[in-house]
Amino acid sequence: MVTPVPRQTYDAIVIGTGAGGGMAIKTLCEAGLKVCALNSGRRLDPEKDFRNHRMPWELKYRGFGDPKLHSRSGADFVGDTEYVEGAWETGAGCTTAPGTKWITARCSAVGGRTNFWGRSATRFGDIDFRAASLDGHDVDWPVTYEEMAPYYTRVEKMIGVASTVQSRPSNPDGVYLPPMNFRCFDHILQKGAEKVGIPYLPDRIAQLTVAHEGHPPCHFCGDCTSGCEVGAFFSTPFFLLPSAEASGNLELRTNAIARKILVNENGQAAGVAYIDRTTRQEHEVYGRAVVVAASCIETARIMLNSTSRHWPTGIANSSGQLGRNLCDHVYGISVAGYLPQLLGQPSFPDNVSDSSIAWMPRWQNLRDPHEEQFIRGYSLYPDGGCWEFPEYYDNIEGFGSSFKREMKRRYPTPVSIMTQIPTLRSDKNYVDINPVAKDSFGIPLPRIHFQWGDNEMKMWEHARKTSADLLHAAGGVFEYAAETPENPGYSQHETGTCRMGNDPRKFVTNRFGQTHDVANLYVCDASVFLNCTDKPTTLSILAFALRTSEYLIEQVRRAGG
Amino acid sequence: MGGQGIERREILRILATAAGVAQFPGFCKWSFACGHLGNATAQIRPAVYRPLFFGAPEYAAIDCLSDIIIPHDTTPGAREAGVAEFIDLMVSRDPDLQRDFRGGLTWLEGHSRAVHSKPFLKLTAEQQIALLEPLAYKAKFRKGDAQGQEFFNLLREYTVMGFYTSEIGLKQLDFPGFKFYAESPACPHVDDPEHLHLPPPQW
Repeated sequence: MVTPVPRQTYDAIVIGTGAGGGMAIKTLCEAGLKVCALNSGRRLDPEKDFRNHRMPWELKYRGFGDPKLHSRSGADFVGDTEYVEGAWETGAGCTTAPGTKWITARCSAVGGRTNFWGRSATRFGDIDFRAASLDGHDVDWPVTYEEMAPYYTRVEKMIGVASTVQSRPSNPDGVYLPPMNFRCFDHILQKGAEKVGIPYLPDRIAQLTVAHEGHPPCHFCGDCTSGCEVGAFFSTPFFLLPSAEASGNLELRTNAIARKILVNENGQAAGVAYIDRTTRQEHEVYGRAVVVAASCIETARIMLNSTSRHWPTGIANSSGQLGRNLCDHVYGISVAGYLPQLLGQPSFPDNVSDSSIAWMPRWQNLRDPHEEQFIRGYSLYPDGGCWEFPEYYDNIEGFGSSFKREMKRRYPTPVSIMTQIPTLRSDKNYVDINPVAKDSFGIPLPRIHFQWGDNEMKMWEHARKTSADLLHAAGGVFEYAAETPENPGYSQHETGTCRMGNDPRKFVTNRFGQTHDVANLYVCDASVFLNCTDKPTTLSILAFALRTSEYLIEQVRRAGG
Repeated sequence: MGGQGIERREILRILATAAGVAQFPGFCKWSFACGHLGNATAQIRPAVYRPLFFGAPEYAAIDCLSDIIIPHDTTPGAREAGVAEFIDLMVSRDPDLQRDFRGGLTWLEGHSRAVHSKPFLKLTAEQQIALLEPLAYKAKFRKGDAQGQEFFNLLREYTVMGFYTSEIGLKQLDFPGFKFYAESPACPHVDDPEHLHLPPPQW
């Protein structure tokens, strides 16, 4: 007679190892919970996989990529490059409804997009959480800044954020390492910004200007978005997973593609069914709680695909709001040109401009929420200086020695400004499941429905005009402004799909990220955000995930677990 | 992993490892020097390059044209930087590029014969430049040269791509990314934020 092997049940299963999943894993493991984490891709070996210190001529296609794989009009391209291979799945995990142009780039590697993120890390404030009370659109967040502030402080201390105290009404200050230094063009643009009445300040950037909590300081090589092999900026593998692994409480299963959340006879979460990418075999893993942190679209996909007798339209979807309310940032070049003041000057090591050293934080609608033609507000990010590749060549006519000399003269001068404009929540923007298309593992694919709305397009026009004015005031020469922004999805800052709120009829999760319908199912990523605000998402994902994880631990302890 | 107490020398050790894996086995036409920061060696090129895509006359034309676009003057130009080899590699991987480059070269050859009754490569340097100027400058553009203009733009794009990603090209720009820094580099003109009193331009 064969004795059945007792089935192992973990305290928690965490789907995803990005910012939210990583924070959940660390927090739960350190509290003594036995955690099984599922990640859809492989582990990266920073020493081998990150080629950010390679010079372009050391790469076969000089960093442009194999033309056979990358189209020439690769402006939309976010994903694997010659500097990092086998980390991203571009386009593969997503479909779009007719008329929707959405760029999908899933980073399947352990740590997800934290391996390559932009590192801009600013807090949301009450101006965001209470935006609906101020301008009447949508609803307030079910949290206050006062409640979130301690979590932000703990996260900033954990990951290290370089900035200054700025006392801006739109941007609560935090706990900061010394800021990055301004470059030549920053000072010039700052003067221009002063003249047109726009704040131009050091950004909040999760990049270690000094050694921090055992992590080495940045060496300013200037290619952070290809990954940092010494971990001098926050990423899950360098900052969150080591202590979880040291606790002995983590089992991390890689190449494990979550297909469905399993439920017990009461409709509560019982585990996760996943497919092993390498063997294509399906496995099941069981847990007393499930934390979904697969990033906004993938989280919605997994939950919508988790249908059962109890949850015919997807798990925890009694509100019908699962997948709804997708928001994103409008990214685009609002102005580009050059600063003639710097023509012919020696090159300056501002290749660290891979970092957003400066920003122009929201200055609109601060005194009165309706002082502009649009509601809410946006931020701008300047860029420029001596880049690795002289993109400005297209603005110089001709050829020969005169062309070569002009290329040299112009090298320190280019500047550009990029927008970060939030969309408002809209019924038109959502994720559902494509009724026919499946991925190569047979899992139904998500389908994105998304259009920019009027409010954000008004901001886009406002940003274009303001940016041109700023460049002019700074003595710069205008060369280009994008007519239309990048396609949606480009910013990688999608939010929504499992919004949090107190009313179970209108929101997927409660104010702690616990689903209203399924008490042992939690969401730990930007899916729970009510909208994307004018700020980047990662710092807030970490703060909300920390809070949700501690709430989960409290529930377990209360239940005597 | 996990960055616990990694020091400077550890960074250097990691860099050395990264340099060690920078090899492209099986690819010998273009030698991408795999030296690294500090010992970045010059690009070693075989004495005779055998094009992957272009025929010999086409390749000679590409080499000649790239050198007209970025010539050797007081500093090395596209030929020394091996730009034609880069273009050949890129074109060999993309049917659209193959069509555009081959079509463009054919156009230029026909144009040269129509104007001078000679192949492009047999023209004097002055004649070559005079033939290209209407394609390169909007003010000199002549109706009917649209295909030539499009080809010249493509050729110039790939010449720039090849040249300014070579060690020779990036050194000419004085690309600052060859170094690491102990702190984030700061603007040296603190007393002149508007940068209105800088030393005279060097170039």
